Amino acid sequence: MPTLLLDPTGERSVVERTQNERPPSLKGMTVGLLDISKPRGNVFLDRLESLLNESGIATRRYIKPTFTKPAPVDLRHEIARECQAVIEALAD
Amino acid sequence: MHDIADLESRGLIGVFVASDVFVEAAAAQSASLGFAPASVFVQHPIQDRTDDEMRVLAEKAYAVLVERLTTNPS
Amino acid sequence: MPTLDELRAATINELGDGIHAFVKRDCATCALVAPVLASLVHKSVVQTVHSQDDVAFPKEVAAIGSITDDTSLRRSYGLDIETVPTLVRIENGEEVGRTVGWSIAEWSSFVHRDLVAEFGSLPSWRPGCGSKNLDIGMPEKLAVALGVTSVRSRRVELASAEDEHEAMYARGWSDGLPLIPPTEERVLRMLTGTSRRPDELVAVVPPDLVDCTVEKVAINAVMAGCKPEYLPVVLAAVEAACTSAFNAHGLLATTYFSGPVIVVNGRIAADIGMNSGVNVFGQGNRANATIGRALQLVIRNVGGGVPGGIDRATFGNPGKIGFCFAETESAGWGSLAEDRGIAAGVSALTLFAGEGPRGVVDQKSRTSESLIRSFAVCLRSVAHPKLPIGFDAILAISPEHLRTFQADGWDRARVRNELHALLQLPGADIIRGAGGIDEGVPEHLVNAIIPKFRPDGLLLTHCGGDAGMFSAIIGGWVNGVEGSQATTVEIDPWR
Repeated sequence: MPTLLLDPTGERSVVERTQNERPPSLKGMTVGLLDISKPRGNVFLDRLESLLNESGIATRRYIKPTFTKPAPVDLRHEIARECQAVIEALAD
Repeated sequence: MHDIADLESRGLIGVFVASDVFVEAAAAQSASLGFAPASVFVQHPIQDRTDDEMRVLAEKAYAVLVERLTTNPS
Repeated sequence: MPTLDELRAATINELGDGIHAFVKRDCATCALVAPVLASLVHKSVVQTVHSQDDVAFPKEVAAIGSITDDTSLRRSYGLDIETVPTLVRIENGEEVGRTVGWSIAEWSSFVHRDLVAEFGSLPSWRPGCGSKNLDIGMPEKLAVALGVTSVRSRRVELASAEDEHEAMYARGWSDGLPLIPPTEERVLRMLTGTSRRPDELVAVVPPDLVDCTVEKVAINAVMAGCKPEYLPVVLAAVEAACTSAFNAHGLLATTYFSGPVIVVNGRIAADIGMNSGVNVFGQGNRANATIGRALQLVIRNVGGGVPGGIDRATFGNPGKIGFCFAETESAGWGSLAEDRGIAAGVSALTLFAGEGPRGVVDQKSRTSESLIRSFAVCLRSVAHPKLPIGFDAILAISPEHLRTFQADGWDRARVRNELHALLQLPGADIIRGAGGIDEGVPEHLVNAIIPKFRPDGLLLTHCGGDAGMFSAIIGGWVNGVEGSQATTVEIDPWR
């Protein structure tokens, strides 16, 4: 049985959690590239990094210790401190 | 996906990339998380691709990735 | 979603014409009348016996196979059975009568048979027992289970992997502290705290100017941790907050420190266990803590007033999560509510746009004349010693300090008048530049005498623990048309 709660709000917005608002462009932002440590992901991210840099967008690289668990909290703190956007790759 | 959900809760905009065998699993995870992060799926397989093939996949995914991270042009 | 009436009609329809008995095994009277029921069933006088807890009871009836399982209490609830045993007669698809408990005379009349002949050896009457659908918590559980509620709020379904507390945080419903999940059952229980209908409009809540019903207040009151008996106070606080005089919108949008401060007067304070004594502004009392919090959550969730959104307070204050206390009225020194025009003995609350309390220490004054001067000099610093008129204040006088005033026969009016008299500020002291301080009033007022507080700007309360020669000042936000006026409303405990 799913848990049902009564909505305490004025019901002016949708009930589902939504993604954060997107900016018009990535200019001026630092994009984090998070490698989940599955093979070949690094080559994929290398190319993304070049493409972003060519467009004048700053990037930083990160790598998770293992793809089997969520990223450790220290790594998440680091990414959140240093970046405004993040691309995580590559799950297969 | 959990990482992207966590980072979005910290104010970042995020997107994850997975091979297209993950499409259903990703949908199920979103449903159980109660949150659907931005996603881009690339063509399976991944493991036995050459470096050049991986780069092509990245190039093909690039435009969609940017789209997921920015507001759609009207 | 069926209404109660629809459920009742459906239940009658399902049962069909005839006499229906409702019993539970855990009832001495039901056990007593078991042979009577068996006989009546055997003679087809009673159609069915509905058992609320055990389909093998009464065994005499079970033996002839005329027991229906109502352990779900669906039919008992549908027919609003209050006592067992109850006999209900249905004719032509309508209930035409019922008899409750056991009385040989009433039963004989009800079933149109002389039961004395066969059952005269039984006691002639016995009261029944409580019907199981009225067990504590059952009415709300059943209402939810049967989908018979008048709840109108949108239901939010949590995802299977979502922890219910994280889910509420993730949806932005929290003020930072954990919330009680507002399930339908909990909200229905909360609504028993008022006789108002759930869909009644309480107020239009700023900043989004959203219609707020009794139900929405109840949902937030559940989340805050309130008990149902606190609900009338929360409803009154929401009403007061949304008046144009109180100006909740302005209060939310200001960069100033203030938030709503609720002072409760009257019998309701003790009835619901509020604290007016030791640590009155601090933690530890459920009513004090949750009533203030419920108001804040309503403004946050219903009105959309969140910090970082419209709330741009530079500092805020810890009381913004909730600041609510009761006044001590046992000292024979009147009450804040009476000061503000409420008849003696009527429960009421006053809502004030206040910052955190600041302390006044005076451990040496032995006369009212001296003590009042301590208060005056400390009150002068509300907002800034050189800023008059624009800010109101609550002065909370402790028992030890009040003793001094009462010994000298000073009532509230005297205390207030003395303070106003002592707080007439010479313009020369408060104009810009005076004292080397740029802040102040315009220089042309150099020869004026300006009162620190406007005539109604000083609110007196009496509270606090018995030990401690301290009192407290709660400074206010700006008054006047663009600011906030303290607002007093009655609390009707039956509303």
